[in-house]
Amino acid sequence: MRRASGQTLTAVLLAVLGVFILGPLIWLGVRAFATSWSYPSLGPDGWTLSWWQAVFDDPNLKVSVVLSFEFALVTMAVSALICLPAAYAFARFDFPGRRFFLIGLFATNAFPKMGLFVALASLFYTLGLMSTFSGVVIIHLLGTVVFMTWIPAAAFAAVPRAYEEAARDAGAGRITVLRTVTLPLAAPGIVVALIMSFLASFDEAQGTYLVGNPDYVTMPTQMYSLVLNYPPQVSAVFSILLAIPSAALLLLVRKHVMGGQLAEGFQIR
Amino acid sequence: MTLPPVTVPAATVPPDTVPSGAVTPGSVPPGTASSGRPTRRHRLTGLLLASPPLLLVAVFVGFPIVVAVAYSLGHTGGPNATVSLIAKDQVTVDAWWKQSLGAYTQLFADDRFRRDLVVTVVVALLTTAIVLVLAWVIALYVRLTDTWASRMLSALAVVPMFIPVVIASWAILTFYSSDGFVRSVASHLGLTAPVWGYTTTAVVIGLVWTHLPFATLMIVSGVQGVPDALIEAGRDAGASIPRVVWKVVAPMALVPTVIAGTFTAIGTLGSFTVPYFTGPNAPKMLGVDMADYFTSYNLPQASVVMAVVVFVVAAGFGVVYVWANYRGASDPAATEQS
Repeated sequence: MRRASGQTLTAVLLAVLGVFILGPLIWLGVRAFATSWSYPSLGPDGWTLSWWQAVFDDPNLKVSVVLSFEFALVTMAVSALICLPAAYAFARFDFPGRRFFLIGLFATNAFPKMGLFVALASLFYTLGLMSTFSGVVIIHLLGTVVFMTWIPAAAFAAVPRAYEEAARDAGAGRITVLRTVTLPLAAPGIVVALIMSFLASFDEAQGTYLVGNPDYVTMPTQMYSLVLNYPPQVSAVFSILLAIPSAALLLLVRKHVMGGQLAEGFQIR
Repeated sequence: MTLPPVTVPAATVPPDTVPSGAVTPGSVPPGTASSGRPTRRHRLTGLLLASPPLLLVAVFVGFPIVVAVAYSLGHTGGPNATVSLIAKDQVTVDAWWKQSLGAYTQLFADDRFRRDLVVTVVVALLTTAIVLVLAWVIALYVRLTDTWASRMLSALAVVPMFIPVVIASWAILTFYSSDGFVRSVASHLGLTAPVWGYTTTAVVIGLVWTHLPFATLMIVSGVQGVPDALIEAGRDAGASIPRVVWKVVAPMALVPTVIAGTFTAIGTLGSFTVPYFTGPNAPKMLGVDMADYFTSYNLPQASVVMAVVVFVVAAGFGVVYVWANYRGASDPAATEQS
């Protein structure tokens, strides 16, 4: 009796959460293949692929797709260059203020995002960074600093010192040890951080909108005007295109994000 | 997708939640090299390697915030000179040592701003409460029953992490709009469902949707960290499941809960995309107001004043976070495990 009521409760909970989380995505996704849709029908009036053609033929939309990938790759590379040495230092060196600085990096996440971007934008006018490629990259970089430092730092810290010392004893130099022992062992954490940074840049919308608009319109910022100026089916197609890289890359690192590297990133001390 | 990572005391993330492929967390504190005390050169190298991201944060987070606070107090020179050139309705002071709260009094005299501030704070608190309750229900299901259903629940809750916020906002708007799914289903059942598109309700729904994965990951890992032995001991002593949850599980998962709550609250305070897509024209969330005042109304100073007000509210939430972190760090039970 109690078991049965427990199972009903579980089923209800699953159904409600399922509709709440997946419902909007499916409802939007179906729209990408719909000729038209009349309320209160639960399905489209007919099926078509013509909206996909419309998106692929629009030069504006194509530009924003290319731009999004450019920003994401540049941001990922610059972020790795700036943060990975620091991650190694946080894991393997003891220096004054180490813990303070580690927490200090976190300032990027401690301020409500739009407030930070508004403060930054007023400064960008003076620095000549408003509506520039570098300005947008800086906005995107701020969203990656914590991932790119904390997750690899935890990965570096997790490499057993005994392995490194064994290599040192066998006569390997510091650089050789780093290249042949530490980096390969920390690689999973670094890859997760790279992918998270790529996505943080790829999905960033509000800061790019404030600083880059109208000169640098990436895919997410394109959505702001798309939903106003195009038929809903076009936005649906565009949404699917924009979601593919995120979903694919995150699925790739899902195992680490759910229980491994990300949780480890949380516990660096 | 914004997911703010945070420090969690090691005890809240037990080694057994780490999947077999992953490396085990480091137990040796950094810097305590086997060769004894770190040398001066060693320290300097460390500081040098660590400095680039610190500089980035100092220059593009710390400095702009100081400059913004100065601008909000009437300082329109220096780094604020360019932005204030074409701005309308500015309060200015004529010397660097003077301060003016004029921009604040002007803004707080505006009924629209006061209403938007209240709505923003209420939405932030409501969203946080709903997210925490949902995440706790899921975490307890996963902890107490290891079944297909509990794994499905936690997997579902993490799905929003895989979807860019712009898409989520647009999808949620179409789902709850006047010709959306909820209204269509209700109409088939002969009912009239409310229109939630372009309402504050839709904003709360959207913010819960986008913030659920982070809170769930944090709280699930916190609750998983409670050892089986403790739960069984409680059960053996005759305590009911709710009592065990309240007396044993809840206190041990308090820190990750507070962290998840703080970051949900701060995230919602500064959110722009969700309220921009799904919210009404009035009342607006302050994230949308800030962007509008800055770009559309050409009132950057008012926008910056709002930013400072939002920072102060967020700092209020942040105090809770810092308190929880210190409490967690000084808790002997927490260090004993790691």
